[in-house]
Amino acid sequence: MIDLTMLAYCIPGLLLVLALIFSGRNKFPANDAVLNTFSIIHAFYLLGLTFVVLFGAKLPVYFMEGRYFAIDRLSLYEILIATIVFCLSAIYARGYIRDLLNIGEIERTNTRLFYGAFNLLFTVIVLSFLANNVALYWIFLELTTLLSALLIIILKARENITASLKYVFIASSAMLFSFIGIIILYALNRDQIADGNLNWDTLLAIAPSLPGTAFGIAFILLFIGFGAKSGLVPFHTWLPIAHSRAPSVVSALLSGVLLNIGIYGILRLNAVATQTSVGDNLKVFLIVAGIISILVPAFCLAARTNSKKFIAFSSIEHMGLLVLGIGLSSPAVLFWVLFHMLGHSLSKTLLFFSAGIFHRQYESNKYFQIKNAFKLQPLASWGLILGSLSVLGVPLFPIFLSKLNILAGLADFSLAGLVIVLLLLFIIASSFGYYLVRAFNSKEDETELKVYNTPKSMKWPIVFIIVILLVLGLYMPGGLADLLNGIVNDLGF
Amino acid sequence: MIDTIIFNDIIHGLFVLILGTAALIITQRSLTSLFNIYAAQSLILAVMAIVLFIEYGTLNLLFIAILTLAVKTIFIPLFLHKVLKRISVKRDLQFMFLSPASSILISAILIFVVYLFFTNIAGDLFADRLILLVGVIGIALALMGMMVIFSRKRVITKTVGYLTMENGVLLFSLFMAEMPFIIEILIVLDLLMIIVLSAVLAFGIDSGMEEFHKKLNRLGIWIED
Amino acid sequence: MNWNMILYTVLNTAFVLLFAPLLVSLIKKVKAMCQGRRGTPLLQTYFQLFKLFKKEIIYSDNSSFIMRISPYLNIAFLLVASIFIPIVFIPAQESGFGNIILFLYLMVCARFFMALSGLDAGSTFGGMGSSREMTIASIIEPTTLMACAAIAFILKTTNIPEMFGTVLDGSILQYPTLFLVPSSLFIILIVETARVPVDNPETHLELTMVHEAMILEQSGPKLALMELSYGIKQLILMALLINILFPWGMATDATAAGILISIASFIVKALILAVVMGVFESFFAKIRFFRLPDFFMIAFFLSFATIVFELLS
Repeated sequence: MIDLTMLAYCIPGLLLVLALIFSGRNKFPANDAVLNTFSIIHAFYLLGLTFVVLFGAKLPVYFMEGRYFAIDRLSLYEILIATIVFCLSAIYARGYIRDLLNIGEIERTNTRLFYGAFNLLFTVIVLSFLANNVALYWIFLELTTLLSALLIIILKARENITASLKYVFIASSAMLFSFIGIIILYALNRDQIADGNLNWDTLLAIAPSLPGTAFGIAFILLFIGFGAKSGLVPFHTWLPIAHSRAPSVVSALLSGVLLNIGIYGILRLNAVATQTSVGDNLKVFLIVAGIISILVPAFCLAARTNSKKFIAFSSIEHMGLLVLGIGLSSPAVLFWVLFHMLGHSLSKTLLFFSAGIFHRQYESNKYFQIKNAFKLQPLASWGLILGSLSVLGVPLFPIFLSKLNILAGLADFSLAGLVIVLLLLFIIASSFGYYLVRAFNSKEDETELKVYNTPKSMKWPIVFIIVILLVLGLYMPGGLADLLNGIVNDLGF
Repeated sequence: MIDTIIFNDIIHGLFVLILGTAALIITQRSLTSLFNIYAAQSLILAVMAIVLFIEYGTLNLLFIAILTLAVKTIFIPLFLHKVLKRISVKRDLQFMFLSPASSILISAILIFVVYLFFTNIAGDLFADRLILLVGVIGIALALMGMMVIFSRKRVITKTVGYLTMENGVLLFSLFMAEMPFIIEILIVLDLLMIIVLSAVLAFGIDSGMEEFHKKLNRLGIWIED
Repeated sequence: MNWNMILYTVLNTAFVLLFAPLLVSLIKKVKAMCQGRRGTPLLQTYFQLFKLFKKEIIYSDNSSFIMRISPYLNIAFLLVASIFIPIVFIPAQESGFGNIILFLYLMVCARFFMALSGLDAGSTFGGMGSSREMTIASIIEPTTLMACAAIAFILKTTNIPEMFGTVLDGSILQYPTLFLVPSSLFIILIVETARVPVDNPETHLELTMVHEAMILEQSGPKLALMELSYGIKQLILMALLINILFPWGMATDATAAGILISIASFIVKALILAVVMGVFESFFAKIRFFRLPDFFMIAFFLSFATIVFELLS
């Protein structure tokens, strides 16, 4: 029965796409309420399936002859995070997309395209986590680029098209370099095993016998591709533009889930790298890359006036922090890196949802357009404030714990690095504070500003995330800790 | 099966032609000849795959040759020509930073740097002379394609730059490793989808027709920085 | 007294002087036939030169001694350069003679004096031609050097007679990368001899002239010398191209039969190359002046690729 799980993951998405393609002129499937209900059901179905596998199956599980797909604890954990964000986005999209359709920013005829891409993106993301073969993982990563580019241009403004083109070109070019890395890995693999298969588990097994320099080159090439997808400097230039121009529900998906896919690849790669002879050099490489990825956003953040761009830069910074933690490569730090991924995804989703509500209210993303926020949109205001606090790592929120431990790990490695990173984090925190203070402080008597009636479907996810964040920040569920420890073990640390 | 010297000569000759087409792609102003040069480059790659198949006999190579021929030599250039007809743009006169002469100069320097890197640093991987040649030319092709993407303004030219990069990677994979069939097919499908998407988007940006610009909503609230 | 060397010098120079005008008219005739005309007879250039030698010389009032000596200097430099390219047979080696760099820069000296004489008369068109010629020369120079460097790198010597000897000894298949060289050499040939697409040698519009503008002010025998030196330059560059690629038939020692076979085979090959050049010219239009660097860069890139391929194999 467990063998059918993979099929079960794919079916709803593919079914929907087929239905949409063949439904033609029929009005029924093009109704956005119907499509949205289907998306919500799809997301919850995926979540339920994940829980079933989590509690029911003995991991790791392999599918198909060539072991192309596999579920192990890391994949399952990532799918868990992803499906939670899916559910929240699907619920939020109900009100958000309906509003956009009513105003006319998305044309009615594009509803099917939007929801088709939306659901297909769910499926492809899950499949990319399930892929055991590195080349297959690469293919799914490219597919996510395509689908998310489609979701960005749904708004049909000229700037969206340029943003999406920049995204596609930068991501795809970088992925081509990582494909060269895959080919080199494949050649190395075939020297060791006669029937060379490029699977993550096979790589992990033969890692100690891989030649050093060649693997180092392959690692760097692969890092280019995965790093571009995760928005690491210097391949991050597409990120602020794409994340700020997309509709907020899509931004939440992009920041919350898609960046995680790249980091997942880097995690697996690092697990292999630490076993090889050049492991120490690559470790330093990752740490430096992480610090650079915190450096650039720190200085870019302060001058931003667009809230969504602001939030996007903060995503880059967190990815830098994650890569820093991965580079440190100790079991304790890795545990907290994994936890950080959960906390970051949820906080970013919260931030983007609140920013979305603000956008609907004030028709603008700029901070100086926000007036009388607390009176008009109290929930979104608290969402933005609490989300910012969470993303910065204030105690009571989960990112505090993970940041603390990653920085402690960095202190073990190099004190100078710790001082630099602390300084940068301080700059980021003050930029956040400055922005929020300026945003929420304008008190004008704008009595003619109409209150935007936030639909309930947009409010509930925000409340839910705030509750979950507070819970996670105060109490780590035992099951979660066991799962994360198991993952760290699997990766070989 | 072929005499080694002749085999070497043929391979070297084909590499020369590929490098020549890459140089032409960098400096082309006319869009129609750009597509034709790309088609010629893919044809040379297919021929190279066939030569390798005759020499080594792996069925995978024949399959790749046929796939390259069908998709990259025939289908994609045809598709691009069709898109070009609907965009009323015939020449790409806008070189953003680099004139054609400086582009060639920079690519010459890049090739040399890649050669130095591969002989000094990556010694053990590229011990065999043929693999070294393949490595240098493949990565040079990829870098030249990337230069096209970043130094030209029109999206259609950027698409051809991306396709050149893909050709460079294909060259690499022809010699270094054989991927399973299913992976090859999926990669080609993925390439097709990216090209179709970029071409459709290119239509939106490159179009010289004013009516199309009006169709795109100038949604004031979404234009901000 | 090195009789070999003396014989070689006399024969080579005589052959070059006699054969150069024939190639000039052949290319003109090929171009005319491509345009559907019958063109001038093949010996027309000889008749032209004889006619010019009999005419009187008129100097402009503003010209200086440069105008008087530059035709002589021009042909002198080119004739010395022509000694560097063995056509009749490959001479026994003398030290310091036949260096390819020296060959290139002898031609540059010739061009320098021609440019000076263009400026000398003080007319606008002469000055314009000189400045354009010098611009083209400075842009093509790295390319030319790179092409010669490529040949020298492959054949492992900078001595031209030695190069011909090496290619003659080994089979062409031993140097497969040599096949890349002809394209760059061909482009350099086009540029140095001021042919379409760089410059139209048959234009009568002064505003479009580059090479012709510089010799506008010359008259009589001096003009004949300038025309002859143009033909010589064309011939020796063609000889370089032909003998690097297809040296078969060239003699390595001074036997009568060997020399005759050399001359005969060279004439055949030169005629073929002249036809190719004529057809090539007919296919292209003159490129805009500011687009010329792009055209040259292709030659540069091909020479560079030759060096890289040689390094890689």
